[in-house]
Amino acid sequence: MAEARGPRATDRTGKPSGDPRAPRALALMGLVLALLAFPLLQLATGGFNYWMHMMLYAFMYIAMASSWNIMGGYAGYISLGHSAFYGIGGYVTGGLMTFLGISPFLSAPLAGVLCFAIGLPVGLIALRTRGPAFIISTIALLILAKLALDNIESLGGADGMSLPLPELPAKTLKIPFYYAMLAIAIAAVYTSYRIRHSKLGLGLRAIAEDEIKAEAAGIPTRLYKIVAFAASALFIGVAGGVWGYYLTYLRPTIFFQILTSAEIVLMAIVGGRGTVAGPVIGAIVLVGTDELLVAKLGSTELNLAAKGALMLAVLVFFPEGIVGTLNARRRLPRILDWG
Amino acid sequence: MIDLLQVMILGATLGGVYAVMAAGLTLVFGVMRIVNIAHAAFMLLGAYLSFWLFTRFHVDPIASIVIVMPALFVVGVAVYKLLFTRIVDSPRYAEMTVLLTFALALVIEGVIGFVATGTYRTTTPDYASDAIDLGPFYVPTGQLYATVLSFVLLGALLAFLRFTRTGRAIRATMQNRAAAQLVGVNVERISTLTFGIGIALAGASGSLMSFLLTFFPSKHWQWIASLLALIVLGGMGSLAGTIVAAMLLSIAAAVVSDAVGPTWSPATFFLALFVILMVRPQGLFGKKAEM
Repeated sequence: MAEARGPRATDRTGKPSGDPRAPRALALMGLVLALLAFPLLQLATGGFNYWMHMMLYAFMYIAMASSWNIMGGYAGYISLGHSAFYGIGGYVTGGLMTFLGISPFLSAPLAGVLCFAIGLPVGLIALRTRGPAFIISTIALLILAKLALDNIESLGGADGMSLPLPELPAKTLKIPFYYAMLAIAIAAVYTSYRIRHSKLGLGLRAIAEDEIKAEAAGIPTRLYKIVAFAASALFIGVAGGVWGYYLTYLRPTIFFQILTSAEIVLMAIVGGRGTVAGPVIGAIVLVGTDELLVAKLGSTELNLAAKGALMLAVLVFFPEGIVGTLNARRRLPRILDWG
Repeated sequence: MIDLLQVMILGATLGGVYAVMAAGLTLVFGVMRIVNIAHAAFMLLGAYLSFWLFTRFHVDPIASIVIVMPALFVVGVAVYKLLFTRIVDSPRYAEMTVLLTFALALVIEGVIGFVATGTYRTTTPDYASDAIDLGPFYVPTGQLYATVLSFVLLGALLAFLRFTRTGRAIRATMQNRAAAQLVGVNVERISTLTFGIGIALAGASGSLMSFLLTFFPSKHWQWIASLLALIVLGGMGSLAGTIVAAMLLSIAAAVVSDAVGPTWSPATFFLALFVILMVRPQGLFGKKAEM
C-alpha cells in the first residue's frame, strides 16, 4: 500500500531503530496482495460468497470512516449528516444507469466528484458556524436531502426504484463489487494519509486545536475547512454509488439514514479520531462485532442499543479510540503507525 | 383568507407544545453547553410512558404528566451524574456532549424498540378526536388542551427562574458560569438540577404529543432535527428566542404544509435554519459570542 512511501515512522516507541519502513511496507504490500487474490478462492470453490460480502462491506465502511475522519478527525468538525452524500452517490449512479444505461462502476467516480461539488457550497453555509450549530446543520442537510428524494417522483419518490443486476452468474457476481470497494477503500485511506501529511492536514489539525490561533497564524481556515468538508464527501459518494448497484434498489429510507452516519462516526471514534489507521481499525472491529451481535442478540433494536452503549463506553473511557490510546501508551504496533 | 387563518391557528396551537420541547433543550444548553441530541428520545420515553399508563391503567395522558415529569426528572439526574460529570474536563467538551447524547439517543431508541416494538402508537382520550367551533374557525380540543398546558408549564418555568433563589442561580449560571461560581453558586448542583428539569420538560411534552401525533421508536430523529433547527433560530440558550421561534416556525410549517403539501412541512425548519445561518448565524435573539 502507498503508506510505505511515507516519511519515516518516528522513533517514539524507543525500540531499536533500523529502517522501520521496510517491514511495514512489506506487510502492507502482502496484505493488499492477499486481498487482491482472495476472490480466487471464490472462483475455485464458489463457497466464499458470504466472506466476499462481509469484506466488501468492511471495505465500504473503511472508505467512509476514513473520509469522514478528514473533517471530523483532523479538523475536529463533527458531521452527523455525511450519509447524505452516501445517498446522493447512490442516486446519481442509479439514475445514470436507469436513464442512460451507464454502468455504476463507470459513473461512481463521477458521483464522488458531484458529492465533492455539492460539498463546497454546503460547507460554505454550514461552516459559518462552529461546534454545536455546525453539527445541527449537518443533520438538517441529511434530512433535507431525504425529503427532497422522497418527493422527486421521477426517481421513484419514497418508494425508490430498482436497478438491474449485472449479468453474471451467482458465483462471480460479487467479484466486481469486491474489487470496486477495495479500490475505493485504498484510495480513501491513501487520500486521508496524504492529507494528513500535507500542509492542508497540518492546517486542519491547527484548526482542531485552536481555530482562532490558527487563523491568527495565517492559515486560511475557511478555505481549508471547505476543502476538507468537500473532500470528506467524495469517497462516501463513490461508495454509495457502488452500494446502490450492489443492493439493486434505491430507497430514501435506506440511503439517507442517520444510523449510517452514526456507524461512520462510531467507527472513526472507536478506532481513533484524527489518526490515519484509526478509522480502518474501527471499521473492521465494528463490522465484525456487528455481525456477531446480530447473530447473538438477533434483534436490530438490541443491536442499536448495544451500539449506543458501546459508543458511550468508548467516549467516556477511551475518548482517543484504539489507535489513539495505544499510541499514547506507546504500544501502537509499528505496522499501524501511519501518522 | 379564512382558510389561511384556520391553518395558522392550527399551527399556533402546535407551537406551544414545540415551545415546551425546545425550552428544556435551551435550558440544558444554556446552563451546561450540552447540545442534547437525546432530548427528543427522552420525549419519546415520556410519550411511551403515557401510552403505557393510558392503555394499562386508563390514566389520562394529560394527568399522566404528574407521573411522567418526576420519573424523567430522576432519569435525567441519574444520566447527568453517570455520564456528564465524567467529561466536564474534556478538552473537546462541546463535541463530546453531542456524541454522548447521540449515543444515548441510540440506546433509548433501541430499548424502546425492544420493549414496545416498532408499532405506531398514539393515546386516544376522548378529546383527541373532538373539536371546538369558534365562529368560522375550529380548534381541535386536544390541541387546545395541549396548548393551554404548554403555556401553564412555560409560565411555571419562567416564574421559577425569575422568582426563586434556585431559579436565579440557574439564570446566573446561564449568563456566566465562572462568575456564578465566584459569587457562591454551586454550579455542579445547579447543572444536575437543570438537566433533570430539562428532561422532565421533555417528558411532559412527550405526554402532550402522545395524543396529538402517532409515534414509533425512530420518531425522535424527526423531532430532534426540527427542535435543533428551532433553538439555533432562537439563538441557542435564549429562552425567549426559543419560544418566539417555536411559534413562528410551527405557524410557517402549517402554512407550508397547506400550500405545498404535508411532506414538505418538516423542510420549513431546515430551510429556515440554512437561511438563518447565512443571514444571521447567531440566531434571532442570540449574541454573537454565543456561537
